[in-house]
Amino acid sequence: MKDLLNSEMMPAPTPDLQGEPRRRRPAAWPGWRVARRFPLLNIGMVLAAVVILASLLAPWITPYPEDAGAVIHPDLVLEPPSFAHWFGTDAVGRDVFTRVLFGGRVSIAIVVGVLLISAVIGLSIGLAAGFFGGWLDAILMRVTDVFLAFPALLLAVALAAMLSASAVNAALAIAFTWWPWYARLARGQAASIRRQGYADAAIVLGAGRARLLIRHLLPNASTAVFVQMSLDAAGIILTAATLSYLGLGAQDPIPEWGLMVAQGQPLATTAWWVITFPGLAILVTAVAFNFIGDGLQNVFDPKRGRS
Amino acid sequence: MMLEVRDLQISYRDQVVASVPTLDLEPGQVLGIAGESGSGKSQTALALMGLTRYANGVVTGSMVLDGRELLTLSPRQWRLVRGRDIAMILQSPRAALNPTMKLGALFSRTLRLHGMTKDQRGPRMVQALAEVVLDAEILDRYPHEISGGQAQRFAIALVAALRVKVLIADEPTSALDVTVQAEVIDVLRNLRDRHGTAIIFISHDLSVIGELADAVMVMRDGAVVEQGSAESVFNQPTQEYTRMLLAAIPVIGGRSR
Repeated sequence: MKDLLNSEMMPAPTPDLQGEPRRRRPAAWPGWRVARRFPLLNIGMVLAAVVILASLLAPWITPYPEDAGAVIHPDLVLEPPSFAHWFGTDAVGRDVFTRVLFGGRVSIAIVVGVLLISAVIGLSIGLAAGFFGGWLDAILMRVTDVFLAFPALLLAVALAAMLSASAVNAALAIAFTWWPWYARLARGQAASIRRQGYADAAIVLGAGRARLLIRHLLPNASTAVFVQMSLDAAGIILTAATLSYLGLGAQDPIPEWGLMVAQGQPLATTAWWVITFPGLAILVTAVAFNFIGDGLQNVFDPKRGRS
Repeated sequence: MMLEVRDLQISYRDQVVASVPTLDLEPGQVLGIAGESGSGKSQTALALMGLTRYANGVVTGSMVLDGRELLTLSPRQWRLVRGRDIAMILQSPRAALNPTMKLGALFSRTLRLHGMTKDQRGPRMVQALAEVVLDAEILDRYPHEISGGQAQRFAIALVAALRVKVLIADEPTSALDVTVQAEVIDVLRNLRDRHGTAIIFISHDLSVIGELADAVMVMRDGAVVEQGSAESVFNQPTQEYTRMLLAAIPVIGGRSR
């Protein structure tokens, strides 16, 4: 339909059949029309923006930035929420609000790191397999299958347990279990794009294999991978939190949400705020990224129908 | 002769899918290859582009372009032939354009691939677009924003800008409606007149071939059934199969033959 409307045969804009003046103002941002059709995507983006902004600005907007580190305030232990401490204080007297906001930075860093590493590995392996096919495809995909055969979380836990417990190692462990999904996805895309007319057209105009891969396969295959990445952000946050909760990720005093939940668990009945607020942060962030992922999927693939 | 093909035989796993005893082409000449699906016309085109090896095809015989034997070229040498000496336009014009690139970027990169400097590319692009009756404004658009006819004319503009000697057009009009077909054929005729491009026009539709071709080759089941000047093939077909194809052309006012 879109092509029809844009072709020279039909002068845009079509007059309104009811004869009413067109109500829609020309949008300042062309994305508006897309955004308006996908409310969940909007909510997700706003929530994610709040989370990301709050974490990035944490050193300036938190009341007690020094509480993000190794400090102890024996006089302030387990204060309930108040105006001075919106989310209360934890077992060593640190401001929970401050630590939740700083925790966002850790989570974002882990998500970005995991996505980058696994997308690079997954796209390279998947594109190579889908493009060259044959025995290379068979070998790469069987290796990928081996990784997929293990439950991802179990593999990540095992790996993180082998490495020393730190946020970086947790991210590496997650990335190690995450890339096979992207490899599979990219392989399918690459194999189908390889059979598209524009791949043939590039060849008959003299393009080589490297050009075909980088100029034509990579950009077209990445769309699907990007959507999958936005869907996965929520899962990575949860996995990272799981690892730290199990003591395999970030270590105290790093303010990591999963770790904070673990630390607050024994206090759940006496000081509910220590466990509740980092838990809520995980929930809100995971929901936000899920909405974005779902929304993007709908934007990129109208055939799937709106949710 | 610019292009001389002798005893060309294309086979996959010892199964011969097309054989062409002779195929000659002068600059500015249009050869129409007609035949039904599976007649071997597209395989002949693939062989002429040096692309059968990617499907594990085996080609024997000889293909000489301007005194150079093409069949013995290495893949690397073939790449320099494709897009410089021989190029091809495909059946579905819109699918032939990468949806993530603006047409301008696509055009410019193609010319750069064949060694044109930035200063040469701009004027060459504008000139080539004018030749196919497209506005230069189209360079700012994405492939999904143009019509099928525009896309096919854009593809021809690419070929015009590259100044190839031989253009292979594989069913270039089959996916377009009749009025747009006529536009594309005009543009191809213009390309031949202006640059002396030789065109191999492949179609199942003899009426489209009749519009443009100087010589005609009819293929069936991988073999050349009839070959000759357009006039002789259209007026005195020697083979029953050619007569059948000719009879399949719809005529206004009912059957005339």
